[in-house]
Amino acid sequence: MRIRLWQWSRAVIGAGALLVPITHAKALANPALAYETVEPARIKLGETATIRVTSLDGYLDDIQLPKVAGLTFEIVGRAQGLEFINGQASPAWYILIRVTPQALGLFSIPGLTAKSPALGLEVVAENTPSSFSWQVQKSAPPAPAPHSSASIPKGARLKADAAAFVQLSIPTRPVYVGENVPMDIEVGVRPGVVTSMNGLPALNSSDFTLTLSKQPLRRDQNIDGNPFLVMTWHSALTVVKPGNFSLSVETPLSVRVDTRSADDQAFGSILGWPFSQIPSKGVPPKNITVASSPSELKVLSLPAAGRPRDFGGAVGEFQASSEVSSTRVAAGDPLTLKLHISGIGNFDRVESSMFDHLDHWKTYPPKSSVTRTDPGGTRGEKVFEQPLIAVSSGEQSIPPLEFSYFNPTTRRYERVRTQPIQVMVSTSLADSSLRAPSEGRAPEQGSARQLARGLRPDHSAAAGSVRDLRPLYFRLPFLGIPATLTLVLAGLAVRSRRARPTVKTAERALAQMSAAAHSGNSSLFLETARAAVLQALAHRWRLPPEQIGSTELRARLGKTGAEIDRLFALADEARYAAGESQDTDYSYWLALVRGELVRGAS
Amino acid sequence: MRAVKVLLLTLGLCAGWTLATALHAPEQRYSADGLYNLANAYARAGKHGLAVLNYERAALLAPGDADIDSNLAQVRAAAHLPPDPHGRFARIVLALPPSISAWAGVMGIALIGIGVLGARTLSRSRWLPASSILLGTALVVLTVCQAMVLWPQMHAAVVLVNETQARVSPAPMGDTAFVLAEGETVTLSAQREDFALIRARDGRSGWVARANLGAVIP
Repeated sequence: MRIRLWQWSRAVIGAGALLVPITHAKALANPALAYETVEPARIKLGETATIRVTSLDGYLDDIQLPKVAGLTFEIVGRAQGLEFINGQASPAWYILIRVTPQALGLFSIPGLTAKSPALGLEVVAENTPSSFSWQVQKSAPPAPAPHSSASIPKGARLKADAAAFVQLSIPTRPVYVGENVPMDIEVGVRPGVVTSMNGLPALNSSDFTLTLSKQPLRRDQNIDGNPFLVMTWHSALTVVKPGNFSLSVETPLSVRVDTRSADDQAFGSILGWPFSQIPSKGVPPKNITVASSPSELKVLSLPAAGRPRDFGGAVGEFQASSEVSSTRVAAGDPLTLKLHISGIGNFDRVESSMFDHLDHWKTYPPKSSVTRTDPGGTRGEKVFEQPLIAVSSGEQSIPPLEFSYFNPTTRRYERVRTQPIQVMVSTSLADSSLRAPSEGRAPEQGSARQLARGLRPDHSAAAGSVRDLRPLYFRLPFLGIPATLTLVLAGLAVRSRRARPTVKTAERALAQMSAAAHSGNSSLFLETARAAVLQALAHRWRLPPEQIGSTELRARLGKTGAEIDRLFALADEARYAAGESQDTDYSYWLALVRGELVRGAS
Repeated sequence: MRAVKVLLLTLGLCAGWTLATALHAPEQRYSADGLYNLANAYARAGKHGLAVLNYERAALLAPGDADIDSNLAQVRAAAHLPPDPHGRFARIVLALPPSISAWAGVMGIALIGIGVLGARTLSRSRWLPASSILLGTALVVLTVCQAMVLWPQMHAAVVLVNETQARVSPAPMGDTAFVLAEGETVTLSAQREDFALIRARDGRSGWVARANLGAVIP
């Protein structure tokens, strides 16, 4: 059995060995290959189409751009990639040309390379329905050269293996620092062979910032009988420093690597599909990174000459317009000034400094929003909303807003300017609250008339008026009056409370004197009287009781002092004549002492 | 004697301060009748906000005026605003004009003081100081109650523009929290630049442009 299988294999291999020279000879008979395509073949005015010139036999020299009235051509990039022919990758060189129409019509673009046929391009109006489809009469591109394993660089087969390609399209012209450069990244993968994409395409340099569109455009493409999924990211590239750079895009993929020997692969390709695919099905996926061919990019610094003072770093082509929410407002009422900056460029460097010169208007921090209108994010509109409040009434003008930027097309600084806006600011209602309303300002005459009938009549003008509507008790100066009155009265009450013990002591002494008089105890009567009077006088004169003598009494109290001095002498006599009764006029001395005590208490 | 001197000195200082304040005050003068007539003019012109504002101001000077209360109620009804009737307590304490009530309070303090001092000196006839204290206390309570009733008016404002937006933040672009009708009375809580934080009668708070409000106390 094994011998028979071996014989069959030898027969097949021998037949294949005969066929290989035949196919190779056919390929050699073909001339050098280059062809071009235009996509899409039908566009609307305002859109662009791309001509792709493909060369399979070497680097393309600069080509002569065609001249077609109504169309402009611009080389937007060069790329190097792989063309998949019979399941095998062949190196290819591309030139991408952007076609921008200026007029409607059906255009014939002459071939750009030798022997290439003319291309057809139809430009229709923007509102033309897309149901009608004009098919460009494209002649089939010449058959690509058969695969030659010798022409494939080492390692390219492992990466591609007819499985994937990455292509980078960038402008060939020099760009400027800060400019948003449109860039297309195209990644083609072969379903079944490429099992997964492990990340988004990324640049191999940190000197750029890449903004990819959120979702790539996907299309299925049949490349030489093999289905491919081609994803295109319309992206924007921002350069942060000047210099010459070599750009490349890398994409991580998982692929099933064909581990067969070269002979087995050749044999499988001779047999064709599905035999060429069977051996790789059982191989586990392997992570690889597919990179595009490097593209050269020259980055220039922004020129210092002619740079405006208010230049904020915006690079591109912009237009500006402004509008206000209302052209009639009351003083103090806010209105919104909207500034629209539209065009192509780096909108993140379009700043709100143009609002800094709005004199006669009170401003608040503006809000801004950016709307991108293309997948790459280079074209769009930035809208600033600036709240304004008029400082003074009357006809006010919002001055023109100016914005400067660098135009990479004209290679000079340019300036856009909005139109001034007139706003009528009326007097605030609050300010006029105490003025009589004018005759012409009666917007609700109907209901007002009805209300007026039910109102009670006006009062006759009174003479009394005040300067302040606040009641007196809410005014600080007035509050001083009750506060002072309260303090004075409280002081008097405290003083009265302090005098109260003196009165009580005097009453107690008088009671003791009365009791002594009733019992006829003159010694006790006189001693009590002397002690009470001394205490009262000491309190009144703020002197120690022992310092109050005859001289002090006579000097301060005169005749009453002499009598008191006599009372003190009688008290001394009574003390030394202990127990002897004296003839004492109790009522006289009682009245004298009461008089002094009451005087001292008050 | 010394206390009397202190009292006279203080009264002189207060009078001087009041005079100086009056001299520096704007020339604008208010009278209850003038404000009432002005409010009537605004009401006839259909300016409900300004009418309510001036009725409220007139009511501060003449709280018990029936004409002011009646016309204010009519304007509120015409502006589709809920009525704001004074309670019985408020009517009682507002029976006396605030200017008289203020001096009545001072008199009440004096009567209380005289009563307290008299009770200590006049030990025989105690009814006289007791009556003085009672009358003085009544006057002081009346004044204090009137001040409590009128205190919210010191921070009140009237919405002058219909459909005034109360915002969640003091910025022209702030989100709208609710909308106020013209003539609605609100309480001012705070101020920040051109906005005032207000509290509506239903308890909601928001920032309103000051130009859209008229403070009852200008």
